[in-house]
Amino acid sequence: MLAFLLRRVAAAIVMLLVVGTIIFSLLVIVPGDPAELLLSTGGGSATQEAIQNLRIEMGLDKPILAQYFSFLINTAQFEFGTSIVDGSSIADAIALRLPRTLEIIGVGAVLALIVAIPVGTLAGLRGGGRFDVIASGVNALLTSIPGFVVGTLFIYFFAQVLRVLPAGGYVAFSQDPAQHLQMLVLPATTVALHLATIIFRMTRASVLEMRGHDWVRTATAKGLRRSLVVRRHILRNALGPVITVVGLQLGILLGSTVLIEFVYNWPGLSGMLVTAVEQRDYPTVRAIILTVAAIFIGINLVIDILYSLLDPRIRLK
Amino acid sequence: MTPSLPMSMMPTRRSVLLSLGAGITAMALPRGSWAQGTDAVLKFGLSTFPPTVKPFDNTGGAANTVKLMIYRGLMGYDASGKLLPELAESYEWLEPTVAVFKLRANATFHNGKPVTAADVIFSLNEITKEGSTAFLKSDLAIITAVEAVDDKTVKITLSSPSAIFMDLMASYCCPIISAESTDGNDIGAGPFVMKSSEKGVYIELERYGAYYDEGGPNFGGIRFIAYADENLRFAALEAGDVDLIEYLPWTQFDAVEASDTMQMKSTLGPYMFLLFNVTEGPFADAKVRQAVGYAIERQDVVDAAFAGRGVPLYGLPNPQGSPFDLSNPAHEWTYDIEKAKALLAEAGYPNGFDCRLLATATYGMHQDTASVVQAYLAMIGINATLDLPDWGTRVTAGKEGKYDLAVHGTSGIYNDPDSLWSLLYSGNPSYLQSFGFKSARIDGLLEQGRTEVDTEKRKAVYQDLAAAYFEEVPQVPLNWRVQAYAMKKSVTGFEALPGFLNGSSAYALDETQLG
Repeated sequence: MLAFLLRRVAAAIVMLLVVGTIIFSLLVIVPGDPAELLLSTGGGSATQEAIQNLRIEMGLDKPILAQYFSFLINTAQFEFGTSIVDGSSIADAIALRLPRTLEIIGVGAVLALIVAIPVGTLAGLRGGGRFDVIASGVNALLTSIPGFVVGTLFIYFFAQVLRVLPAGGYVAFSQDPAQHLQMLVLPATTVALHLATIIFRMTRASVLEMRGHDWVRTATAKGLRRSLVVRRHILRNALGPVITVVGLQLGILLGSTVLIEFVYNWPGLSGMLVTAVEQRDYPTVRAIILTVAAIFIGINLVIDILYSLLDPRIRLK
Repeated sequence: MTPSLPMSMMPTRRSVLLSLGAGITAMALPRGSWAQGTDAVLKFGLSTFPPTVKPFDNTGGAANTVKLMIYRGLMGYDASGKLLPELAESYEWLEPTVAVFKLRANATFHNGKPVTAADVIFSLNEITKEGSTAFLKSDLAIITAVEAVDDKTVKITLSSPSAIFMDLMASYCCPIISAESTDGNDIGAGPFVMKSSEKGVYIELERYGAYYDEGGPNFGGIRFIAYADENLRFAALEAGDVDLIEYLPWTQFDAVEASDTMQMKSTLGPYMFLLFNVTEGPFADAKVRQAVGYAIERQDVVDAAFAGRGVPLYGLPNPQGSPFDLSNPAHEWTYDIEKAKALLAEAGYPNGFDCRLLATATYGMHQDTASVVQAYLAMIGINATLDLPDWGTRVTAGKEGKYDLAVHGTSGIYNDPDSLWSLLYSGNPSYLQSFGFKSARIDGLLEQGRTEVDTEKRKAVYQDLAAAYFEEVPQVPLNWRVQAYAMKKSVTGFEALPGFLNGSSAYALDETQLG
């Protein structure tokens, strides 16, 4: 078991090293000079001398290989360093922003589950019935509208026409809980909408399949209440695949909430990544990508270990 | 799970609370509502979060707006764009190269200490010193000495006379900071003090109580909120989340004009133009560049890229508010496709040629401008392939000459033809200039114009510059853009400053009131 664990952890570290190297190389290849960009914001330009002086301040005058090794050494010590744009701590910024991205994903997922599981179950139980046809139709429609379009429409109706919610932005919960929740409504709902369509489809299909099994017929035949049959014999079995899909989707969302964060001005991790890429803030881009990659790899590691505990045969492979 | 229920209730609760709050305030303060207004916080929607607010660097319009609220220089502008003494109380030219500034007795820095001659010496030295990244480093290299005559009097000596020195002293890149400033903690003397900020999200300033101007700002603080998406920025204003926004998207001008609750203030500020790679290929020939000048119907650029909110520009981009009228039909390109074709044929390209047209997808207006230009060039046989990378890549491509033809838009920093220096002077090449373009004639005229102090002689110099611009074609001008700030109707007294000073409009916040 210990050997298996060590192997897996070593593999995870190698994977992170590979991710780090790829992202470092990509940033070297991508054109754009952070010093010149910073002094050209908005379309002006500084003198070549000023740009060169700033490059020295940013440490970009050092050879690429030297930059690469100091990046590896710092990362190994969990040192993300500072932004080359304004010298602020990158670790602090990630610590501030990651929870916000997790918040809209988390709240969105809860909302999606609350709506999609009952509706999906009902549609599955009445497969082919009127409710199923309508629910599936609405679901197909919602699936086909991208999040940023939903976002723009939401802002138009709720902020500009009805004026019941702010158009976007962020206030910390600790500062003003009511306003924080107001600002959370639209982005979380937008995330939820997309996620709900996927959960609905999975739940419906899974319930549809389960309800045809023998044990359901048996349970019904022995006179169990309908609600009990559904809960204990259909849903419990049907939710396995749904949970797997939700888990996968949450991972994907971590990297793809960019548009939703942008549309609503929600200052999460993805928005920070976009700005950092635009400014060619190399250390910040690297740190964010490594953080997200580490979360992914870490989750996989935990799942691997859990599986191996459940099924010892996996350890042998 | 639990938050979901209260959240769906929120809309009604919010509006009820708001109206309730407003009602109570109105009842409690029947006559004191004016006092309430002066302590209110102005919420200002920026187009981007300032990358830095270092006093002497130029990191874009949003940063400059914030800087003008925290820092002030010796000179400044009023809301009409008139040059005025700011931290200085008065100034005098002892000789054409020696200026003496008398500092205000009551001007203090945010640490409470008075603004003295030593601080002026410190600040100007920070700009001109070795290794500085200051925007005006090369412009202020003409300063040969800064001396303290007494605590409140400074004498500045220049190597040559300068017609634009006072404009430089009013720039958002030339504030006076305390000599006690340390790296990362610059102490200004502006109307507001930094209170708190979060990178990428907001910057909050509060009124500096001891600001020299006794009226002081008419409100208690400013909260700058960055809205990168222009439509969201407008939505935030319409929804009442913010009081004032910069960079109103052109497509929303109509909506603001038709609105009962919003208004806008705009001036013709920046301009759009084309740059060429003159080191190789057809564009090395001035005749081909002239042909491009004649080939484009500029009103179509204005209509397509700026929703009709702009003015065609046919010759030297002499800004609104410039001391001189340099217009001369003989030195302007009107739309004349026959002339364009004839010039191409004369240059040896009767059937046109293929080329790369560089713009950026980051800014819709650049991309749209490029599309219109592409269509018009096709009519004279020039087949341009659009290259639309992100802004960062575009800047590098421009600097390295990886293009044949490029779209750009920018503004000078003061209303004088000398403001075109960084765009035309070949001693300081950058992505703002045609790649490889050098003209001793244009450089010479720019130098002459800068050091000549006689108004009539300067005018003649710049008339010559307009002719040289037309003949040698360092760039092909397209149009002026209307640049607008939009605000609630209850926000009064704000003005967009004219011409190239549009980016310094934050000065007008000194006279702005919240209703």
